[in-house]
Amino acid sequence: MNPANSHHEKKRLENPPKSIKFKIQRREKEGANAYWETFELPYRRNLNVISALMDIRKNPVTVEGKQTTPPVWDMSCLEQVCGICTMVIDGRVRQSCSALIDDILLESGGDTVSLAPMSKFPNIRDLKVDRSQMFEHLKQVHAWIELDGTYDLGPGPAISNETAQERYAYSRCMTCGCCLEACPQYGDDNYIGPQAIAQAKLFNMHPVGKTNTEDRLNGLMGDDGITACGNAQNCVQVCPMSIPLTRAIYETNRDITVNALFGWLKK
Amino acid sequence: MAIKFSNTFLLRKLHQLTGVVPLGAFFFVHMYTNSAAMNGARSFNKHVQDIHDMPYLIFIEVFGIFIPLLFHSIYGVLISAEARANAVNYSYGRNWFYIFQRVTGIFLFFFLLFHILNLRFGLIPGLESFGNPVAGNGGRAFDIVATEFKHIAILIFYIFGVIATAWHLAYGFWLFAVDWGIVIGEKAQKIGLYASIGLAAFLSAVGINAAISFVDPCGLFPASFCEAAEKNKIIEPEAPRKF
Repeated sequence: MNPANSHHEKKRLENPPKSIKFKIQRREKEGANAYWETFELPYRRNLNVISALMDIRKNPVTVEGKQTTPPVWDMSCLEQVCGICTMVIDGRVRQSCSALIDDILLESGGDTVSLAPMSKFPNIRDLKVDRSQMFEHLKQVHAWIELDGTYDLGPGPAISNETAQERYAYSRCMTCGCCLEACPQYGDDNYIGPQAIAQAKLFNMHPVGKTNTEDRLNGLMGDDGITACGNAQNCVQVCPMSIPLTRAIYETNRDITVNALFGWLKK
Repeated sequence: MAIKFSNTFLLRKLHQLTGVVPLGAFFFVHMYTNSAAMNGARSFNKHVQDIHDMPYLIFIEVFGIFIPLLFHSIYGVLISAEARANAVNYSYGRNWFYIFQRVTGIFLFFFLLFHILNLRFGLIPGLESFGNPVAGNGGRAFDIVATEFKHIAILIFYIFGVIATAWHLAYGFWLFAVDWGIVIGEKAQKIGLYASIGLAAFLSAVGINAAISFVDPCGLFPASFCEAAEKNKIIEPEAPRKF
């Protein structure tokens, strides 16, 4: 094929609206009632959700003309590698730094963008959530490698290129929470979710880390472990780092099922 | 390795296993028996009578059907109650299938309750089968069902029931293969899904045709398709035996 023909120009917003409305879910503090406020900004090319929020913060007046508090959100790297600015934009979870207003309007066909915090985590204020449960899950599956000892262990064993590639895919996880937010089974602590399962896989594949495989599988075997996966596979669709989350879940399922079926025969 | 298995793990795996092995296998046998209705009352009644003549029938029925079905349906409803359906915002095929599996499951809970009380036990008041179920009446099985199916609402209810079962079972096979870590890869899962959709269509077609055979000989096929079987019949209708 002629490369000139195979190149597709990215679709652009041809007729942008004069102004854009931002419908933002507000909450004063944890436990307080949530409510919505709408703000309006003049349209400008190449806005993203964060730059729009920064503009709103400068002059927090709603469309009704009411002076209000500046919206609160988390942000850090601004290049979709830290995961902290994750929020629900037009009903779908993603990082707000890489959410371009032009693309959002092109998809919705409207002039309003809705912003809400992730629903599966405690909402601290406005768009800010407490994601520490993901850290608890990492502890539950022993997502680290034991290296400290009384003597130098020397260099670790070599890893094949295939294993290194596969581990690299899992290592891209930035603990953003997209997979948990989109999962129809996750919530109420009855399922650990894809994030921790993929990290258990990452460390089980490490030649030194695999000595703790049992700890990790035990962390996944509890009532709040891997079992409640419902195979809707939303996680792998929404993962911004394209981590093969379902592969991690099913390979772990295979290990556990084989153990359940045949493990007792070894006794 | 010594892994401790939680109760949830064992119950979930048992739920998937009961769906595939006793209940799934039984559905195939059930559709085969129903299809005998294509060849008319004598053929269907003979198949029903063959089931009645099975040795250990009561044990097969209790341990192979009733107990697995009771466990699968009650635990299935509990699993469905956990769902936080979100397919409006996350409109992916498998997310919709996730919801369909729960919707068909809950529908089947009520459908099978009706079906079993109706034709197995004859306990639905107001219907001709009341006190007169198919079970134990092998010789009149076809007539009992045909009388029931004269009510168009009941026939339609049964047709929806068979479609829901076909889908729930065929997609259940896919879920089983995926969840037990048998079909892992992306491509393999895709092929498996197409196979499941094909199986669901096939089982639905067989089930619908069998249901219609009770009101219209040979079902949706032309009568000539079934006549050969009728011509080749060897067993004469049973005459009352006199000693």
